[in-house]
Amino acid sequence: MAAPASQYKDRQFLAVIGDEDTVTGMLLAGVGHVTQPPDSQKNFLIVDAKTQNADIEAAFDRFVTERKDIAILLINQHIAERIRHRVETYTAAFPSLLEIPSKDHPYDPEKDSVLKRVRRLFGE
Amino acid sequence: MSGSGAREAVFPTRQSLGLMKTKLKGAQTGHDLLKRKSEALTKRFREITRRIDEAKRKMGRVMQIAAFSLAEVTYAVGGDIGYQIQESAKQARFRVRTKQENVSGVFLPQFESYTAESNNDFALTGLGKGGQQVQRCRETYARAVETLVELASLQTAFVILDEVIKVVNRRVNAIEHVIIPRTENTIKYINSELDELDREEFYRLKKVSGKKQRDAAESELERANEKASASKDQAEEEAADAGDSQDLLGDKDNEDVIF
Amino acid sequence: MEGLFYNVKYGYIEGIVRGYRNALLTSQNYSNLTQCETIDDVKLQLSPAYGDFLSSLPPNPSTSALANKTTEKLVAEFRYLQANATGSLSKFMEYLTYGYMIDNVALLITGTLHERDTRELLERCHPLGWFETMPVLCVATNIEELYNSVLIETPLAPYFKGSLSHQDLDELNIEIIRNTLYKNYLEDFHNWVNTQPDIAGTPTADVMTEVLEFEADRRSINITLNSFGTELSKADRKKLYPNFGSLYPEGTTMLSRADDVEGVRIAVESVADYKTFFDQTGLSGGGSGGVGNMSGGAGGESRSLEDLFYQKEMEISKLAFTRQFTHAIVYAWVKLREQEIRNITWIAECIAQNQKERIGNFISVF
Repeated sequence: MAAPASQYKDRQFLAVIGDEDTVTGMLLAGVGHVTQPPDSQKNFLIVDAKTQNADIEAAFDRFVTERKDIAILLINQHIAERIRHRVETYTAAFPSLLEIPSKDHPYDPEKDSVLKRVRRLFGE
Repeated sequence: MSGSGAREAVFPTRQSLGLMKTKLKGAQTGHDLLKRKSEALTKRFREITRRIDEAKRKMGRVMQIAAFSLAEVTYAVGGDIGYQIQESAKQARFRVRTKQENVSGVFLPQFESYTAESNNDFALTGLGKGGQQVQRCRETYARAVETLVELASLQTAFVILDEVIKVVNRRVNAIEHVIIPRTENTIKYINSELDELDREEFYRLKKVSGKKQRDAAESELERANEKASASKDQAEEEAADAGDSQDLLGDKDNEDVIF
Repeated sequence: MEGLFYNVKYGYIEGIVRGYRNALLTSQNYSNLTQCETIDDVKLQLSPAYGDFLSSLPPNPSTSALANKTTEKLVAEFRYLQANATGSLSKFMEYLTYGYMIDNVALLITGTLHERDTRELLERCHPLGWFETMPVLCVATNIEELYNSVLIETPLAPYFKGSLSHQDLDELNIEIIRNTLYKNYLEDFHNWVNTQPDIAGTPTADVMTEVLEFEADRRSINITLNSFGTELSKADRKKLYPNFGSLYPEGTTMLSRADDVEGVRIAVESVADYKTFFDQTGLSGGGSGGVGNMSGGAGGESRSLEDLFYQKEMEISKLAFTRQFTHAIVYAWVKLREQEIRNITWIAECIAQNQKERIGNFISVF
């Protein structure tokens, strides 16, 4: 019943979907990774006011389903809010999905999908 | 037969009764064990959810501090370094590896962060101005990401435990509400069936013995009749013998005695 | 003597700049700003000084939007001055923009190297560093093309020539390129103010020499401190030091040999100001931590080296206004305004992120 080792042993990167400041910070911490050319794939996506929701969803899907080397996906909460239905329906253990606060949007535990599940489980 | 519930399709024999009894016992032991496992996991689960809750709040603070250190960088560098950072990211220095922790037979993965020994993509950022802030900001963010990794471990554990607990509880409930009643029903059924058989057997035996008795009585009567007719013949013979002998005696004027 | 004709040519500009200088925020304004509870309050407090520029902002704007708008005002004023400047002042102001151009070019080079669409980079460029041929930079798709046909056409071409080949653009870290350009720029600027017939020997030359020497020293020290623990070799490091300044040549030679903060301290000891800085930041104790951390965290009241450099720069800029008949006030005003924008951003950031205890960490001059 435990996840088979093959599911996560190659997962060693973090991926980030966030606003510019968050991504910059994460990259400074050293999470940034660009795969070898020709198909240089970044493991981060910068979302600004102009970014389409479809692009966010595409990146989300790429990080959670296509890439097998991502262990944790960090996503700004206000961006998760924009694709909330996708986040809500995502229940797999790998990669682990983490909603993080951003500079301009402080963390709101009420909106967190996982915490929602926690509350639902305990019937609060 | 106890028609109150499902039962297994078995022949109601003493052998299957034995089997069912063993099965019931097994199911009860299994139920107890699973229940205990589920309790252990739930305890762990509650602990993890509590820690997640805490960690999520802590994350809020940590990320704020980190965001603030980025503000310091902006102040010191006097400009936006975002684009440059994005473009100079090549190899992840900060990576995670996964190890397992065994909780009541469930393997929970735990992320562990480590720094790859690749060269630093941003070492020269802010060389002319603000380099120290950049380095400090890097450290702050690295610490923040470590917190995030910890939280991710907890959250993965949460997701997996959630799944496992659901499975275990489903099993507990299945045993409690399906398997045990069904086995009990089967046992009842077998018992009643066996009793029925017993009664039938008894009745049959009674019938047989009744018939036997009747047969016996008949044959007794027959025997008695036979015996009687036999004795009459004998008497006739005796009478004939007597007549003969009377005749022999000479009193022929006496009427014949007829029975 | 120089004052005789200065006002004829540049009097108007000087008057305007002095007017602008008086519009800078004072410590009274700053203390009002630090009392603010929300960004909207900050906006309100800034409205006398920034007025129209902030009015288009949405309620509770982000700090970066605020910074953009305040920069816009600086740019608008600078453009106005530039449009009215003639003769050597016009050239002088061009020199001022070169520093920003270097940043922009570095940005575009980074973009070209990674084969990004450089058009979207244009809006990230600093508006003061805008030059006419800049959009042309986006035409180049590879670095060789960029170097041979585009960079040559920019005002920065002389800074590339002789010190950077197109292979260098490809191989060297962008930061090294940027600092090489900056070094060349500072040297050129320094040379210009001291040799230009209009300017040499005037107060402009005096003040600008002081300013540029300080800038050169600051860069040398920063580069040295920031290069510890990186792959930048000592020889390469030395190439990035501008060849003038109060530290040149003995100080820079010592800097180029320094292995740690202590080495830097010894190298700059000959200059009283820098020695004081190092003493103030507690770096003379030989500790390696806390070099430039805005007195963050445990540092408490002590200020970081970068803070002190900014402070010093502001003082020099402030003093520049005590001189008459000089272009340097334009430079000083730009620097003061930049610091003001940084201060506003900082205060707004502190308010937005609830870090009120650090809010006083800006540098107020007036």
